[in-house]
Amino acid sequence: MIILETRSLKYTYPDGTVAIQDLNIEIMKGKKIAFVGQNGSGKSTLFMLLNGTLKPGQGEVLFHGVPFKYDSKSLRDIRKSVGIVFQNSDDQIFAPTVYQDVAFGPANLGYSKERVDACVQQALEYVGLSHLKDKPPHHLSGGQKKRVAIAGIMAMEPEVIILDEPLSNLDPVGADEIVDLLNEFNHFGNTIIISTHDVDLAYRWSDYVFLLSNSKIIGQGTPTEVFKDPELLKKAGLRQPTTLEIYREIERRGLAYGRNSPKTIPELVNTLKPLDLMWVDVPPRVKEGDSLNIGVMYGEYATQSPYEAVNATVLHIHPNGRAIVELKRKGIKAGGILIYDTNNYSLPEIKQILKDGEIAFVGAMGKKSKILAEQDGVGLDVSSGVVDKSILMALCGKRCLILTAGGMVDHAFKRIKEYVEKSGIEFTVGVVNREEGCMWLKETGDNSETLKI
Amino acid sequence: MTNILDDYALMSPLRHRNNWLKLAIVLFGLLAGISSTSPVTPLFIAFCMGFTTVALGRAPLKLYLKLLLAPLGFAVTGVLIIALFSGSGQELLSFKLMGYSVLLRKDGLELALLVLSRSLSGMCCLYFLVLTTPMIELFAVLKATRLPESFIELSMLIYRYIFVFLGMAISIRYAQTVRLGYSSFSRSLRSLGMLGSTLFIRSWEQGDKLFLAMNSRCYDGKMTLFEVHRPVRVPELLLTSAYFLLTLALLYLTKNASIV
Ligand SMILES: Nc1ncnc2c1ncn2[C@@H]1O[C@H](COP(=O)(O)OP(=O)(O)OP(=O)(O)O)[C@@H](O)[C@H]1O
Ligand SMILES: [Mg+2]
Repeated sequence: MIILETRSLKYTYPDGTVAIQDLNIEIMKGKKIAFVGQNGSGKSTLFMLLNGTLKPGQGEVLFHGVPFKYDSKSLRDIRKSVGIVFQNSDDQIFAPTVYQDVAFGPANLGYSKERVDACVQQALEYVGLSHLKDKPPHHLSGGQKKRVAIAGIMAMEPEVIILDEPLSNLDPVGADEIVDLLNEFNHFGNTIIISTHDVDLAYRWSDYVFLLSNSKIIGQGTPTEVFKDPELLKKAGLRQPTTLEIYREIERRGLAYGRNSPKTIPELVNTLKPLDLMWVDVPPRVKEGDSLNIGVMYGEYATQSPYEAVNATVLHIHPNGRAIVELKRKGIKAGGILIYDTNNYSLPEIKQILKDGEIAFVGAMGKKSKILAEQDGVGLDVSSGVVDKSILMALCGKRCLILTAGGMVDHAFKRIKEYVEKSGIEFTVGVVNREEGCMWLKETGDNSETLKI
Repeated sequence: MTNILDDYALMSPLRHRNNWLKLAIVLFGLLAGISSTSPVTPLFIAFCMGFTTVALGRAPLKLYLKLLLAPLGFAVTGVLIIALFSGSGQELLSFKLMGYSVLLRKDGLELALLVLSRSLSGMCCLYFLVLTTPMIELFAVLKATRLPESFIELSMLIYRYIFVFLGMAISIRYAQTVRLGYSSFSRSLRSLGMLGSTLFIRSWEQGDKLFLAMNSRCYDGKMTLFEVHRPVRVPELLLTSAYFLLTLALLYLTKNASIV
């Protein structure tokens, strides 16, 4: 379903600068959209058009198929549904305290005092700033101000949230937290639009990318499509995402396998398998194209996890009875990833899991979970890029625990599941304290049974 | 960035106490100090307020003394003049200074001490307020005084933008300094002029941006002020009452006493 749409949009600044021309875009509901373009390509201007702040010179903007009207009542309705976080937080925060700034939006929506309070508390907790609510903005760091600005918009619960350069001025961990936050917000069905010149971010995060150059859209599509095309990127004045660039170089040297577009480091690592061929003796009646069960390999023969069940496809049978087979490996004691929902948090349970599950690696996603872990002295091995790092550790046969809450649980679970399906490397993944029982630990028991054979 | 007084107030643990209680304490201190006829009560008030500000309010002692020193300097000169040139009672001291004879009389001295102690107590009371109650807490008080809404809104916005522009001015000045904008007197003048004009243009622009920011969050002409509810706790109440009673008692006992 299309939520926002523009038709031959044009905007000229009073001084004559044409910032947007002939722009036709359709934005789907519930997607993560990135606008990528150089400085001055018109991203900020477009965003202000999308929320009715600027009035286009020509063309129109449609929300749910209805053209924007620029009288104050219609604008109010638009702004209630389309929230915008400015590029510079100092332009956005104007109230004397954090609390009052976040409360400004909900109060304008005419909520009761109690409801405003609930919205503000929730939004502040969400961005991990509850403890700063009585501070004046000039006592906050740049990243904290950014989070206040985001909370101020989230508290209004808009359908679409537009963020202009959400990660500028943030440290890596802080940037990661904002990304997690956006993912969670998206998980609840909200549409998220960001602008950025960070191609890596747009490539790995978004569902759909628009390339903007010189006030025009010069390309759009899924990130894989858009960033595959070096010519297009050159035209937009951008470079290829790092993972893709590395992958292209590796592929050119014949070291990578398959024609993929890896987005994350685990996916990149996964493409680094050459075709796995081996000479084996085959029984007489086997034909080319048959599959063979070779059994369990371990030690130096197991390349991806400590133990592997190996199946082989016969490619060619030599007259002397030996054959070339392509191996298909399936790790049986690869590590696993356990996700713990900190909404039902109990320290003894975590300690129990850490001990019984032989957890070698603990990560936390989301400010709330990080704070909980810190308070209770649960040592965290990683706090940014948690899902990726956990997958990498699991591939090395380690077991990981991810502490997180709410929508991020599902998000992490989905991402890891997707990886397992895509890569064909199997390791266990489960959410501990959501479904009844502790499903993963049970599976571990099974695994150790199998391994004794 | 340098700390201004408001920053100390923001950091003070007494910030989170009931504003009205603090205001009452200050008002009481001021009135009691002024209505006292002997220096004892004002000195007691000054001591109590100073102690509360430094010990309970965690204002740095050094800063506090420095703050007191400035107005005290003025007070002392005034008091000296009063002591030496007023009164008509018994002579305590007389000496010649550059040909003039100077007399120190009893009632002159008493009056001088009274003035000094009163101004000290007043200062301590006000510093108690300044160092424990940041501006952002006072908006709620302003609201209760039924000043016009737009006045309060305006003061809230001004408060925020004072710091934005202060930050801006500091960074512009820094940017000018690193490019040798202040290396000679004439250059300093030029730079300062540029700073002023830039700041003016920026504040103009900021006004536009502020309007955008407020509009994009559905501003409809009024900014609601959310008061934090801070009930007065029992220990605070007890302590305050004890202080009030003691002061009143002192006030009564020292009504006709003279210390000289
Ligand atoms: N207030 C203004 N008046 C006149 N021209 C402007 C104004 N704001 C922006 N422009 C011009 O409009 C064009 C688009 O600017 P815009 O701010 O939308 O770019 P952007 O893509 O957001 O860039 P960045 O990545 O640097 O934030 C630029 O050429 C800029 O110079
Ligand atoms: Mg911009």
